[in-house]
Amino acid sequence: MIISKRKRYLSGLDWAINTLDYAMKSATCSGNMSQIVLLFDSRIDEEKLRASLNQVVSQLPVLNGHVARDLKLAPYWNIPAAARKDVSLFVHTHDFLTADELLPLLTESANSAFQDDTDHIAFHFFTNASRSALAMIFDHRLLDARGAESFLFFLERSLKGQLPSGDGAFTSSCELTNWKRKFLAGKTINRRVIALSKSLPRSLQIPENKKSRFLYRLLAFNEQETAIIYDRAYQEAGYLMESPFFLAVLTQSMHELMLHKSGDGSSYVIPVTIDLRQGTDSLAEIFFNHFSFLFYQVPVHAAENRKELIDLFKQQMYDQIKTGFPRDLAEASLLTRIVPLGVLGRLFSAPFKGKIATFAFSHLGKSAYQSTGFLDSTITDFFHMPRVPMPPGIGFFSNIYKGRLNLVISYLEGMLTNTEMRMLETAIRKRFGVVSE
Amino acid sequence: MTAQEIEQILIKGISTITNTDQASVDPEKPFHDLGIDSLGFVEILVYIEKTFKLQLIASDLTKKDFETIRNLAQFIQRKL
Repeated sequence: MIISKRKRYLSGLDWAINTLDYAMKSATCSGNMSQIVLLFDSRIDEEKLRASLNQVVSQLPVLNGHVARDLKLAPYWNIPAAARKDVSLFVHTHDFLTADELLPLLTESANSAFQDDTDHIAFHFFTNASRSALAMIFDHRLLDARGAESFLFFLERSLKGQLPSGDGAFTSSCELTNWKRKFLAGKTINRRVIALSKSLPRSLQIPENKKSRFLYRLLAFNEQETAIIYDRAYQEAGYLMESPFFLAVLTQSMHELMLHKSGDGSSYVIPVTIDLRQGTDSLAEIFFNHFSFLFYQVPVHAAENRKELIDLFKQQMYDQIKTGFPRDLAEASLLTRIVPLGVLGRLFSAPFKGKIATFAFSHLGKSAYQSTGFLDSTITDFFHMPRVPMPPGIGFFSNIYKGRLNLVISYLEGMLTNTEMRMLETAIRKRFGVVSE
Repeated sequence: MTAQEIEQILIKGISTITNTDQASVDPEKPFHDLGIDSLGFVEILVYIEKTFKLQLIASDLTKKDFETIRNLAQFIQRKL
């Protein structure tokens, strides 16, 4: 173990994220990054925002780090002695009232590349006479979704003088011991990969355009609609079983869409991210990747029956948690760090003939951003707009803010037509019970 | 095993899963108010299976059974 402000060894999952970043930069207009959007009820002063962001960000050199390998070949995040003085803040004047009206501009910002390889965070500020919104773009190599929410909350608290614990030093290990444990975990993962690869996943065709960007659809549900959705989740899936319910609804809706498009494959495979953090109060737990995956696989014919789907998802979630699959995956992925990014990218897709999954899903639930305001303004909405690694190139990302559910559909340009996207949205709303069937 | 003893075992497990002090786990608070989501809930179900040899994921549990840790302890006691 080392405790350092200049060096933080990467975990296996950090390395997997770096691989996806490399692959996405090779195949699309930008890397493996995401965007959090905050909508405000009033206008925030631009200069005050810039000064506040600079004040905090300039104290965090980790934001300007880059990946390097040490003499033992273990990859690490090389942190400079000092951070840049000025945060990347882009200001756009635009008339808008709702998030939907801002979506074209948010789509542009979500797809904008960072200025260089030591730039991992940028802000886009949208403003007009009465309202404003802030989008934070972040590099997944440095922040995962929950970490990014916590980082924004850290910003908010820092501006109020409430700093989280930790002095900015990271505790990490090159993890070049306990090989037996890693290989045993690898064996478990290998078994699961072989089982998954026995059935080819049905997936949408990925367009071959190296300048492709991601497009988004935001399904924002009000409090009443959210209550209806959660009540339906309880009736159909049981207490606190909203994730299996969401998965079943999304799988059925994607199934309906797939029937209109050509495609082979006999199962639907869905990787779902889960948070492995023990807490989010220290700086060390905000940065880097602290998540793992559950992998669900259901036969195509099961998508005809929601009850069957829900039961399958519940049982598979239970079985994977019981066998410790997410932690085994984190452990086994440490073995991959020796492999160069380009080679690892090809290895990832090998067992599935390039068709890794049908769609990605993540339900963040209640936000880690625990404040209702930012810089004296009230936040009216809060949601995520990730770029989805491809394959699958399409994903669904939900969160709850102020008792309202937001579901963002993110997909690579050219995968779906506008008509197909409308069809997908209608199918989801219908199954959520918020439009008449 | 009494319902009280089961309750204490549950509090211990839930405090580990939610990374909170045992003292702050209120046995009369609903699970969703303890900040538990689907995944945390499944972790609790796995903990119950490993500790009490009861598989509850596919059972006909109602919201009432899981309303509070106290209710759940009573439910488990009836099943043991």
